[in-house]
Amino acid sequence: MTIEELRARIAMAGVPIPEARLEMVRTLLTNALAPIERMDARALKTLEPAVTFDAAATSGARV
Amino acid sequence: MKAADLCFATIREVGERFRRRELSPVELTTELLGRIERVDKTLHSFVTLTPERALADARAAEAALRRGDTDPLLGIPVAYKDLYATKGILTTAGSAVLADWVPDQDSTCVARLQGAGAVMFGKLITHEFAFGIQFPGHRFPAACNPWNTDHIPGGSSSGSGAALAAGLVFGALGSDTGGSIRGPAAFCAIAGIKPTYGRVSRAGVVTLSWTLDHAGPMARTVEDCAYLLQALAGHDPADPASSRAPVPDYLASLRDGIRGLRVGVPRAYFFDGVNPEVAAAFEAALGTLRELGATVQDVEIPNIHDAPAFMAIMLSEAFSYHEKDLRERPELYGEVLREKLMAGGLVTASEYTQAQRLRERLRSEMLDVLRTVDVLATPTAPVTPPAFSAVFDPDFPFARSNMAPFNMSGLPALALPCGFSRAGLPISLQLAGRPFDEATVLRTGHAYEQATAWHTRRPSC
Repeated sequence: MTIEELRARIAMAGVPIPEARLEMVRTLLTNALAPIERMDARALKTLEPAVTFDAAATSGARV
Repeated sequence: MKAADLCFATIREVGERFRRRELSPVELTTELLGRIERVDKTLHSFVTLTPERALADARAAEAALRRGDTDPLLGIPVAYKDLYATKGILTTAGSAVLADWVPDQDSTCVARLQGAGAVMFGKLITHEFAFGIQFPGHRFPAACNPWNTDHIPGGSSSGSGAALAAGLVFGALGSDTGGSIRGPAAFCAIAGIKPTYGRVSRAGVVTLSWTLDHAGPMARTVEDCAYLLQALAGHDPADPASSRAPVPDYLASLRDGIRGLRVGVPRAYFFDGVNPEVAAAFEAALGTLRELGATVQDVEIPNIHDAPAFMAIMLSEAFSYHEKDLRERPELYGEVLREKLMAGGLVTASEYTQAQRLRERLRSEMLDVLRTVDVLATPTAPVTPPAFSAVFDPDFPFARSNMAPFNMSGLPALALPCGFSRAGLPISLQLAGRPFDEATVLRTGHAYEQATAWHTRRPSC
């Protein structure tokens, strides 16, 4: 991710990130998104997102 | 037993002494409160110390022991990561955002340990909202590593790791979203287990990431972790992800040994950039497992390099949790943490969903591997604890994690000591197993622990 791409995302999301932290955020997101950018989603059409909650469980409040 | 030895005894040892009337919970509590007073001025592991509550709990435990109650946690000194809600006791999550929050009920884990007769000593510092280390000047100072106070104790359950390593309590609660139980366990030379997702209730634990958060115990030995997990595990209707899977007796199989056990070592990813001293200690640990009768083989998790997608999930979910406070009162968040949390608002919905798809593939591949072996072994952390001077650089990178793959998959994973560097800093072994098979993971760790002496070393504090 380039700094320009990062600035575009910041503008779209309306999330204020100071100049001094742009490089830190760019590195963080670049590493996090690298596997997704490598992924060929068309080759994995039958792969569904992880199931996260047990439908059998009674819903309840968390903090 | 000398007072110093007493502070580093195990849960089973002090329980036996309680029942032989050689020691009382009040005596042990008084001894530890004195030690905390002396030692924690330097370590900063406690945010809130509750001496009156500890003494009251200890007196109640004494009465229960006199009645013949047999719960192994009766009178055992514990403290809770300050992410766990405690009724009537400040619960800060290490943040100015919650600096004045006094919950009106206990989290499920706290209620279960208190119900088992544990003695509550107070609340232990956590990295802010279980994510960001407190920089100098923060309202809540960061805990120091008892092995070398110039180094971090790991995070985010930093106070839990430091307090246990320093002999201030016998058990603690941690939470683990990407390694926050196992990291401090690794860096403080103690044990900690992240149970299977759904095994231990997260109800009343401040959220970092709903689908990655795990609650679990930390202690000085694997056996002590088993005692604590026994009390914590089990279905809780207050946690939507809580499992109804039956809870086995973790202590019953702990001493069965590991002859014939198949240990898999995933070489790819987990050894990228590993410190040579860590690598050597890990290979020596494999040798010990072989001597104990296990077979060790390399295994392959084909898409393990997708594991860093973990961060896209965690950042997105954390941003969802914090968005309103981040937008309305950002000044209450700590340096650097604020921007890391805001970064979650820059991950698109599509990227989040793709990350959850990669997660599912990774989970499936890890389960495939665990059809050919019984446990996986890796270094818990590829490095020894970094110095504060390095971590306090705002651009210090979030380290590639050997622990996060097991948050992605939800598999149970245990950290325990397997060596020390030449500089005297801890090195740790990570053992992971099949879903809800904490018993095999604990049995393997206990066998290794009994064959080695790393867990008997003590810091000089």
